[in-house]
Amino acid sequence: MIEFKNVKKVYQSGSINTVALDDISFLIEQKEFVSFVGHSGAGKSTILKLIYAEEKPTAGEIIFNGEDISKIKSKDLPYHRRRIGTVFQDFKLLTKKTIYENVAFALEVSGHTNREIHESVPQILEIVGLGSKAESYPHEISGGEQQRVAIARALVHRPALIIADEPTGNLDPISAWGIIQLLIKINKLGTTVVLATHNKEVVNNIKKRVITLDQGKIIRDHSKGRYAI
Amino acid sequence: MILLTLTRTLKSGFQNFFRNGSLTVAAVSILTLALLIISIIIVLSISANLGLKYIQDKIDIRVYFKSDVEESQIMAFRSEIQKYKEVKSAEYVSKNKALDDFKANNAAKPDILKAIEAVETNPLLASVNIKAVDPEQYEVIAKSIENSSYKDNIASINYQQYKLVIDRFNTTIKTIRKTGALLFILFSLIAILITFNVIRMTIYNHGTEIEIMRLVGASNNFIRLPFVFEGVIYGIFAAVIASILLFPIMKIVTPYVVGSAYVKIIQADFVRYFILIFIAQLFLGALLGVISSLLAIRRYLKI
Repeated sequence: MIEFKNVKKVYQSGSINTVALDDISFLIEQKEFVSFVGHSGAGKSTILKLIYAEEKPTAGEIIFNGEDISKIKSKDLPYHRRRIGTVFQDFKLLTKKTIYENVAFALEVSGHTNREIHESVPQILEIVGLGSKAESYPHEISGGEQQRVAIARALVHRPALIIADEPTGNLDPISAWGIIQLLIKINKLGTTVVLATHNKEVVNNIKKRVITLDQGKIIRDHSKGRYAI
Repeated sequence: MILLTLTRTLKSGFQNFFRNGSLTVAAVSILTLALLIISIIIVLSISANLGLKYIQDKIDIRVYFKSDVEESQIMAFRSEIQKYKEVKSAEYVSKNKALDDFKANNAAKPDILKAIEAVETNPLLASVNIKAVDPEQYEVIAKSIENSSYKDNIASINYQQYKLVIDRFNTTIKTIRKTGALLFILFSLIAILITFNVIRMTIYNHGTEIEIMRLVGASNNFIRLPFVFEGVIYGIFAAVIASILLFPIMKIVTPYVVGSAYVKIIQADFVRYFILIFIAQLFLGALLGVISSLLAIRRYLKI
């Protein structure tokens, strides 16, 4: 589903070049659950950004469903994003919209009809366990609940891939584990999940493939991996 | 899909407008001020033009001929004067016509009528009323008549009494045209800059929102249109407020520009222009809003 071929990413700021990724290659199959682990600055987030094309690689190819997205045109970018659901550490919810409106928004932008929206949104809120909070605003619910809203939004347009960048970073251990369980459940239903985290406990409990990064290089790739740096 | 995008973005434009409170107020007031300044300049130059046109229609030079001058000589003078390129028209008013006009003008004053009837011969003089193409040329015309071969037949030329009014209008209109054009350009630029900055500020406020929109796969149009609509709504509101404010302001300002004597006439014309000015303001306001929004949002839409 996703293949990185000798990908290199250098961030340029003035005359200073920072190598974020150095000759990275890996393949993620459909329906896999892959965790990227490593210290801050190891390159986890950069890999995710390259997948949803927020950044372009300095060198190498990134193949997504047979298509090289490192050369994606800006007008095609929205369509690429609609195939992916994204979840972030800071939730990224629209503060002036209700929970329902936040989730509905992902469908509105891709031109779903109002009927489809009325059907899908309550369904997905039920799945993440927030059926009763549809009319609340983000600031009225807990961090764990906000992250569930973000997951609901990422899921509602039924993407083939969910990308989660430190989704548990702002949460207490119990809420964090709830979120991870939700991601595991989504994965079981057939969605590919790519997770970036430096939470050791989380990774050890998932018991799925773990790719370990250090200073922009892959140093380990185990199919039933543990957090070990 | 296009219709769905339009209705959804229009709705969200309205939501932005009403949910943004203080920023909306700031943007609308700045835009109102800009429109107001621009319209005042436009209205002033319209009033000045109207005033001038009114005066021009009223003003002429009257050349009175001595009572013993033959009509044929006056007609010869008239046809010669009509050849001047500065002269728009030259109308001959005979003694009898002058008397009829005089009677008509004083119909309500029986003493004057009696007095004039008491005189056996017609005391009024025949005249040629000359209108110039350009009010600045009256002086030239008057001078050339004074120096012509007809000067011995002429009893008087009443040009001096209008000279003051004409001069005053000429200077006023010149000043308004010159400074008006300059101010118009200057304030338009300032208005665009300020509006642009205010709208940029509101969009900056929406930075995270735009980021989220992009992440969930909103197309550029879907992100851009709400701000464009918001800009249009700013413009419409500002145009309405500016138009409401314009009336009393003009009432106070016009007398200083054109002299109180002509205010009534000008304000009557101004009402006719009002709808035109309002439509122009709507258009200008919406245009300012849209241009500012488009410029301000550009940097958020890059990859």
